[in-house]
Amino acid sequence: MELLSVLLQTTSGLEGLGAAIGVAIAVVAAAIGIGQIGKAAVEGIARQPEAGSDIRTTMIISAALIEGVALFAIVVCGFIL
Amino acid sequence: MKRILFLIVLFTFSVAGWAMGGETQNISVSNSNSEEELNVKELILDHLADSYEWHLFNTKNSSVTIHLPVILYSKTSGWNIFLSSKLHNDKNNYKGFGIATDSKYKGKIVETTSSGEQVRPLDLSITKNAASLLISSLILILIILGVSQSIKRDPLKPKKGFSGIMEMFILMIVDEIIKPAIGEDYKRYSPYLLTLFFFIFFNNLLGLFPLFPGGANVTGNISVTLVLAIGTFLVINLTGSKKYYKDIFWPDTPVWLKVPFPLMQIIELVGTLTKPFALMIRLFANIMAGHAIVLGLTSLVFVTLSLGSAINASMTVVSVIFTVFIDFVELLVAFIQAYVFTLLSSVFIGLAREKEPEKENKELTLEKLAEPGNHL
Amino acid sequence: MSLLTPDPGLVFWMSVSFGIVLLILAKFAFPAIIKAVDKRTGYIEESIKSAREANEELAKVKETKARILAEAHKEQNAILKETARIKEEILQDAHVKASQEAEKMIAEARKQIHAEKDQVLRSIRSEVTIMSVDLTEKILREKLGNDNEQMNMIDRLLDEIEISKS
Repeated sequence: MELLSVLLQTTSGLEGLGAAIGVAIAVVAAAIGIGQIGKAAVEGIARQPEAGSDIRTTMIISAALIEGVALFAIVVCGFIL
Repeated sequence: MKRILFLIVLFTFSVAGWAMGGETQNISVSNSNSEEELNVKELILDHLADSYEWHLFNTKNSSVTIHLPVILYSKTSGWNIFLSSKLHNDKNNYKGFGIATDSKYKGKIVETTSSGEQVRPLDLSITKNAASLLISSLILILIILGVSQSIKRDPLKPKKGFSGIMEMFILMIVDEIIKPAIGEDYKRYSPYLLTLFFFIFFNNLLGLFPLFPGGANVTGNISVTLVLAIGTFLVINLTGSKKYYKDIFWPDTPVWLKVPFPLMQIIELVGTLTKPFALMIRLFANIMAGHAIVLGLTSLVFVTLSLGSAINASMTVVSVIFTVFIDFVELLVAFIQAYVFTLLSSVFIGLAREKEPEKENKELTLEKLAEPGNHL
Repeated sequence: MSLLTPDPGLVFWMSVSFGIVLLILAKFAFPAIIKAVDKRTGYIEESIKSAREANEELAKVKETKARILAEAHKEQNAILKETARIKEEILQDAHVKASQEAEKMIAEARKQIHAEKDQVLRSIRSEVTIMSVDLTEKILREKLGNDNEQMNMIDRLLDEIEISKS
């Protein structure tokens, strides 16, 4: 604990690094998630083109929710700075 | 498409080659320019943040700026209204008010009290974003009212041109978003949701337009998206059904999860807050990131100025191409974010309006099971 | 960092402008637009419906027309057939009548001939009778010149009468 506080005191640049790593992880995770959604949606539409508009709406909603979580993470990282 | 790409690449290399040839003569010039190197981070943050004047463009040796009114209420001196140009004197100070250069109020007007402390007064100044908002609101009202007049004048004739496009947008929002998400009672909410969509969309587009009424980072400002999110929050919670409130305060979970310590209630309440919070952050982050990327790509031109004219010229071409590309992407994003904001708002409203499911079915099946001779 | 903290001044102006926009647009613009568009949708639906109805009506009319035509055709055929039949009948009738008439006339003629023949016969007979009476007279005058013979004669005649009487 002391070591950590000492480290944090001496190297104030580390918080920026932490924020950057946090943002990176969040973005990668969100990208994977949204990619999965896109893949599933394309497969679904290819199988059932007549359900395309429904699938698209659902896809946008789920992608938006995932994006929201990722943006939360990014904002929290922004608060670190 | 291939041909266009080829042309672009060719153009890039030819410019680079031309610049290479001229390099020897130009070196001294570029060196002399490099002293006023610009701080890109500062520039971008400056644009993304708000300001008290509206910087339009630079002429040869001066810049054209609209000074916007500053409206302040401080506990010591009451209401103060003056133009922001008064702040730019030698002392950077007017009636004790000045723009803070550092500390946590950087860029905002602070009041220096008699004890030397910096205090932030209640600041209702018409800043760049506020002015842009007012102008865009006015334009939006005029546009939509005009469209509605032209549609009302002859409702049976399908419209062409601008009114037709607006009508198409309106119908798309109503038929694709509002109707499926909210259901039967959609007519009650469609004016709010349509206003939301057009307000966001119009301000997004205006933010992409670099000349006077546009160019401000309006929807990429958290205050703006906060108000929009609060609007949706109010609509969701003021028109929620009984079931919606029951699900928050007495959800269908084991009793121990809600009685001694209201765990579920806390989770549900946080859930009601995160929905509009996500809306707020999404719009803000997307538009802000778009502006930041466009600015960053544009400043490539000026950043590479000191690296020699060959690199500078080729980077200029790259920068222009990428900026145009990103601008197109931003056009798309402007629409998508308005669409998503409206879509999620209507989905949340629709969820909050859910009625208690009919219990009849359950009872019927139970009765059937209870009938004699009906063994499983 | 300062980007993430809402600014009260801007929140205020945003609320004001968004409120005004919402008030004006939600009150005057969008309901009117939606109403107009709904009206148009209704109008178009109505038009399509009435067009379909008109089409159906037209089809019905066409069908009726065809039916009427067919009926008329049938009627015509029947009438033609009837006329042919009537014509035949009339012809037949005329034939029959003519032959009847002819027969009648023939019969009449025959009758007349008969009558005439009778008459002629009668006249001839009377003539013959008269002639015979004359002749008889002459003969009688000749024969009955003497009384004897007269007496004989009367006796014979009387006998004859008695015989015919008994």
